[in-house]
Amino acid sequence: MPDPSLVTEDLTIRFGGHVAVNKVSCAFKPGELTVIVGPNGAGKTTYFNLISGQLPASEGRVLLGGADITRLSPSARARRGIGRAFQLTNLFPALSVLENVRLAVQARSGLGWRFVSPAAQFSALEAEARHYLEATKLAEKAGMAAAALPHGDQRKLEVALLMAMEPSVYMFDEPTAGMSLDHTPDVLDLIAKLKEDSSKTILLVEHKMSVVRALADRIIVLHNGELLADGAPEEVMKSQIVRDVYLGSAGEDAA
Amino acid sequence: MSQSLPKGAIFIKTLVLFIGALLLFAPFLFQDTRSLEVAARICIFVVLVASYDLLIGYTGIVSFAHTMFFGFGAYGAAIALRQMGPGWDAVVLGGLTGLAVSIIVATVIGLLSLRVKAIFFAMITLAAASVAMVLASQLSNLTGGEDGITYRAPEIFKTANKLMVNEDGKVARLFGVKLNGKLAAYYFVFGTCLVMFIFCLRMVASPLGTVLKAIRENEARAEAVGYRVVAYRTFVFCIAAGLASLAGTVYAIWLKYTGPDTALAFNIMIDILLMVVIGGMGTMYGAAIGAVLLVLAQYYLRDLMGAASEAMQGIPLLPELFDADRWLLWLGIIFILLVYFFPKGIAGTLWDKGARP
Repeated sequence: MPDPSLVTEDLTIRFGGHVAVNKVSCAFKPGELTVIVGPNGAGKTTYFNLISGQLPASEGRVLLGGADITRLSPSARARRGIGRAFQLTNLFPALSVLENVRLAVQARSGLGWRFVSPAAQFSALEAEARHYLEATKLAEKAGMAAAALPHGDQRKLEVALLMAMEPSVYMFDEPTAGMSLDHTPDVLDLIAKLKEDSSKTILLVEHKMSVVRALADRIIVLHNGELLADGAPEEVMKSQIVRDVYLGSAGEDAA
Repeated sequence: MSQSLPKGAIFIKTLVLFIGALLLFAPFLFQDTRSLEVAARICIFVVLVASYDLLIGYTGIVSFAHTMFFGFGAYGAAIALRQMGPGWDAVVLGGLTGLAVSIIVATVIGLLSLRVKAIFFAMITLAAASVAMVLASQLSNLTGGEDGITYRAPEIFKTANKLMVNEDGKVARLFGVKLNGKLAAYYFVFGTCLVMFIFCLRMVASPLGTVLKAIRENEARAEAVGYRVVAYRTFVFCIAAGLASLAGTVYAIWLKYTGPDTALAFNIMIDILLMVVIGGMGTMYGAAIGAVLLVLAQYYLRDLMGAASEAMQGIPLLPELFDADRWLLWLGIIFILLVYFFPKGIAGTLWDKGARP
């Protein structure tokens, strides 16, 4: 069994008197896709922010491959392998699709401090960026501004950007938000493909039960900031306590 | 981008190349003292605006301390030239001291405050700039206070210096232009400014340039991709401060006088802001366009209006409206019209014209 790549120990954050995430301890293994579910305000995104560093933990620790990363900045965590996508698409809107991805490749390469040679000289960066655009079927739109892409493509671009970071942990926060599920959004196919690489740990916040069923190896349920359930999808979905707190979406999906 | 440039971009680049050519041949094209003064001022302001564009246009940093760094460079050279006498040793020592002070102050301001919100950062730079102004007027032993300092430039730049002599032993002329120290001084200004402007152009096209744009576009994303945003911001703040400081040194050598009005006044900061907005933020080429337009307007609008007013004698109201004393009013109107018709500045608005969708 591989070593757990990402561990949270008693991870807690308080905003004044309100405990948004309360002593959540959990280990995420490579090759496993964990879906985090819970009603609105359960602390899912906050939990994500604690892991990727956008918010400082009040208590507890975050470990990555055994190293304590609790006090590191988001950029330092990113360099260590945390690839975070956000709930609202989070790109560099005025930059081209290619530049968006190249920035991620470049961050990894450490060439960001080169300030006299033209960027075009670093063709290796660009070639690598194009590779990720191919993989996400965005190659033809390489020259477009990210903001000009349709919503679905923007989501795909965010996945390309994450892939270009070559993280060991992928974190997706509602990647299908604002999309119709009439046909499976491409972004889910991409995430499913990421699963094929067994060295990657994938965390996914998602509401839609069809998505959860299709992708999850494991589900954890957060409720009022606390870890309520943790286990295989069938088990968790059957559990009465989960049905009670989560009736809204689960019931809707069952109907 | 590897695709062909839009027509607008080609136009802007050609225009800037044309400006460069005009400045290169300025001493031969416009043979009077005032024109050369204007050309030198344009050169200096192109660098000041370009370096400021690195901050405001490319990285999204609003600073009001750009004149302060300009002043550090100018006063550094001025004080050294005054104390040590005219010579390159004084220029180098003064210039480097100004540069060092600029970079140190920029680093301190950057590290202390670039993590706070943009508005607070702007206020802190404003405070620092005010302190610098007060210091310059208080430390009058060193800075000459409100009167400033006059000094002599290195030998080669003296107007009486003959670069070449003809058979009669008088200063040689090329196309009617005296090959004297003034000409050498102008080309010193032009050359150093050109190098600094090209440096800015290269910088924005470099990998670092893309990181700066990324920070401007989406700071949180840049951080989450793995860039130390504060470090990058501080770095570019230092680079911009250094360039402003060097431009100050060059200007001090050209003017042979440094005082609050030429090197530290808040008016200069406002001019830089106007130029960057007129030219187009985040375009770099706009720096050249904005600097040319505003400097020309400041020097010649008055004359032009005086002439217009003369020409309109006899027509009711118009002569008064175009009276030379109202030039600031008209400058304001021109500025408003420019912003209205070129919301992204001249270079910014025209750049994408004629581009494929």
